[in-house]
Amino acid sequence: MAHKVCLIRGDGTGPELVSAVETVFRAANVAIDWVEVEAGLACVEAGKPIVPDETIEKIREVGIGLKAPMTTPIGKGSVSPNVTLRKRLDLYACVRPVFSLPGVETPFKNLDIVIFRENTEDLYAQIEYMATETVAHSVKVISESGCEKIIRAAFEYARKNGRKKVVGVHKANIMKVADGLFLRTFKRISEEYPDIESWDNIVDNQCMQLVTKWSIYDVLVTLNLYGDIVSDLAAGMMGGLGVAPGANFGTNCAVFEAVHGSAPKYTGMNKVNPTALLLSGTLMLDHLGETKARADIEGALKATLMKGVKTYDLGGSATTSGFAEAICSELKG
Amino acid sequence: MMSLHGVDVYLNTSEFPNLPQEVGSFSLIFVASRGTRMKPGATDIAWPQCRYFSETEVTDQDIENLVAKINAAGFQWTKCQKLFKIDGVNAFSQPY
Repeated sequence: MAHKVCLIRGDGTGPELVSAVETVFRAANVAIDWVEVEAGLACVEAGKPIVPDETIEKIREVGIGLKAPMTTPIGKGSVSPNVTLRKRLDLYACVRPVFSLPGVETPFKNLDIVIFRENTEDLYAQIEYMATETVAHSVKVISESGCEKIIRAAFEYARKNGRKKVVGVHKANIMKVADGLFLRTFKRISEEYPDIESWDNIVDNQCMQLVTKWSIYDVLVTLNLYGDIVSDLAAGMMGGLGVAPGANFGTNCAVFEAVHGSAPKYTGMNKVNPTALLLSGTLMLDHLGETKARADIEGALKATLMKGVKTYDLGGSATTSGFAEAICSELKG
Repeated sequence: MMSLHGVDVYLNTSEFPNLPQEVGSFSLIFVASRGTRMKPGATDIAWPQCRYFSETEVTDQDIENLVAKINAAGFQWTKCQKLFKIDGVNAFSQPY
């Protein structure tokens, strides 16, 4: 039976990337019943919210979604569609795996780290005030329940996936109250997982160690702002945002997404790398229990890259659709 | 120039607070948790942010009276943040 999945085609190059994923999924014989839902610039232009209530409700009902990049309009009162989805659906865990891909040359050999970023609080609560005419005040909200959910998710993931180490990343030496709450919660929960080695790192030290000792790291768990920065740093170590997948999990809902932007200047040029959205799609297949399809597609992707078929961002000349077709050829081969 | 128009009252509760909708010239605009609007019956609420706002300018005394009413209704507030307009423009963020 086909899996029902909500689909947001996105803005800019998003629809081209979705077409590439659909092409590869068909070649892998994955049966998906796509439920198209609207969000993004077209909604704004039609006078609707950037993520309409109907879209939120449909994703909540179906329980799973795949989202192509969307554009946040610039201007007063505009909101991020990505943050809207995370907050309205309470997708508290942003999971960002980074790993070496064959044929994608980087200085970071044998990279294999999964980053768990808290997704709903911290400075991303976006509670801000002008306290005086010349002083701005942004509220950093950290709750014990928010910390507990993301930390437990990281340890559970480690246990389920045979990962051996979980590191909590914070700045509790400076923010002794807010990050101190995260650190205390991390230490308390880590005691429930004696089979997993754990320790904590201060975020600046963690960034330095990521680029000097990346091979000792396995699973990282951190707060929202640090997670945003560290996960993009790690994406760069993997080869760039064009290849880095992402997933967002809540209690009853999950949305999978490429974390890069919609690259509007390349719209319609059939040029952008679909790997990030495709790998986000294979994370989704794993979530759906389609582990063979995930392995098949990721194997075909790696074989394609090994043959030197690459898009412009990786130094190649393949088009978006041409790259997808090359992966399909590997799947059929 | 700054003008005072309201207050965000943060409460010590993990439940959706049943607060008065109108107090003097103030209206309860929303209850939010961690920057996200909550609906009555919502669970997993942490430190709700309750925004009372008036389009007309208010005084410190108006805000003190409002907060006293919330207190008298049995809610413990832990933080209040005044809401200003600067040159007629709202100088604070909105929740999702």
